[in-house]
Amino acid sequence: MIRRLRYRLEYLFARSAMALFDSLPLPFSVRVAEYGADLYFLLGGMRRRTAIDNLLQAGLASTPAEARRIARESFRHFARLVIESFASLRWLTDDSWPSHCTLDLHPDSRRLLEDPRQGLLLISGHLGNWEVAAQVLSFLKPVLGIIRPMDNPHIDALMRWRTNRPGIKVISKREAHPAALMGALKQGHILALLTDQHASRDDTVLPFFGRPAYTHTSPALLHLITRTPIIFGYCERTGPCQYTLHVEEPLVFPPTGNRQADIVRVLSTLTGRLEAAIRRHPEQYLWGHRRWKKLRPMNGHPPTPGEPVAQPAGNAK
Amino acid sequence: MDQATVADQLKTLMRHSSRLPVDWDAVALDSRIDSLGFDSLTIMDLIYEIQQAFHIEFDPDEMTAIQTVGDLVEFLARKTG
Repeated sequence: MIRRLRYRLEYLFARSAMALFDSLPLPFSVRVAEYGADLYFLLGGMRRRTAIDNLLQAGLASTPAEARRIARESFRHFARLVIESFASLRWLTDDSWPSHCTLDLHPDSRRLLEDPRQGLLLISGHLGNWEVAAQVLSFLKPVLGIIRPMDNPHIDALMRWRTNRPGIKVISKREAHPAALMGALKQGHILALLTDQHASRDDTVLPFFGRPAYTHTSPALLHLITRTPIIFGYCERTGPCQYTLHVEEPLVFPPTGNRQADIVRVLSTLTGRLEAAIRRHPEQYLWGHRRWKKLRPMNGHPPTPGEPVAQPAGNAK
Repeated sequence: MDQATVADQLKTLMRHSSRLPVDWDAVALDSRIDSLGFDSLTIMDLIYEIQQAFHIEFDPDEMTAIQTVGDLVEFLARKTG
């Protein structure tokens, strides 16, 4: 009962905030959001501490003051991202997008993107503006994204409605059956996956900025079973409603028959690409997320990076 | 490859990919795959193992019809036959 009331109130707040921001000129909305981010940074103790701690532990800031500066800018960046993404139906259209987004595509990736029959696995992280990246790519090829549904179903529906546009289909993790994902790739779609959130304890442990973290395994498996090329990319914010979409060269890893080794090879490469991109733009990364959670002990010791985390239980008999 | 050989090989692969303690001797052809400890991640594990062992590729259109162990055995026997 209390939860349902809370969800309703959150929805009303979100809806009102959207209506308010829609009525304001975009640069003014962005400025208001930046002030809001500063206030949240000042008051939001846990997220702020997480961001500063992550930056120090990742070695991207050498002093607490530097970590604090980058973390604060990261919060501001996220506020800009929300406002510009929600308003993108106004400024990012089929005709206008080239004046807002520069394409920095590897020539081989460009060829694949221009081939309507070619499915692609786009791997990225919470870096730059991933919403704009998906929208720009959808002007080249249909995009299928997978999201974790929000706890509040009203906000979830609101977000889906607000970010809905032709060329982009978003499904929840629960709906993401392998056959559906493989079908989309076969039809020549881009399957866009953000792979840098804390994964489940059934996934793979790999170092992320030198510290072991549960890492999503499904992108690697999807690549290995479909042989669909992987492209790593991200959308860097270069100014107000100005972006550069970077897409690196296509990656292909032939399966060797050693599943775990193949998975580690794919995921290690992708993690390395993401780390390098974050190092170039640390202030555009979502540092407030708790990526490095405590590892579940296996056989009395923490899992070794690369080792399969989930012990197959099927051999009980 | 005959269906009995396929079924034996398949059970071995399923045993390694499943995350539930299953009595594999009791698994029959009409057992539903989703009742044997397979989620979307372990299904992909299994597809990888099957593709490597049987040298075949899965077509997503064909996959939707596979619900039981028997469906999968029949599919593999047809593909490798």
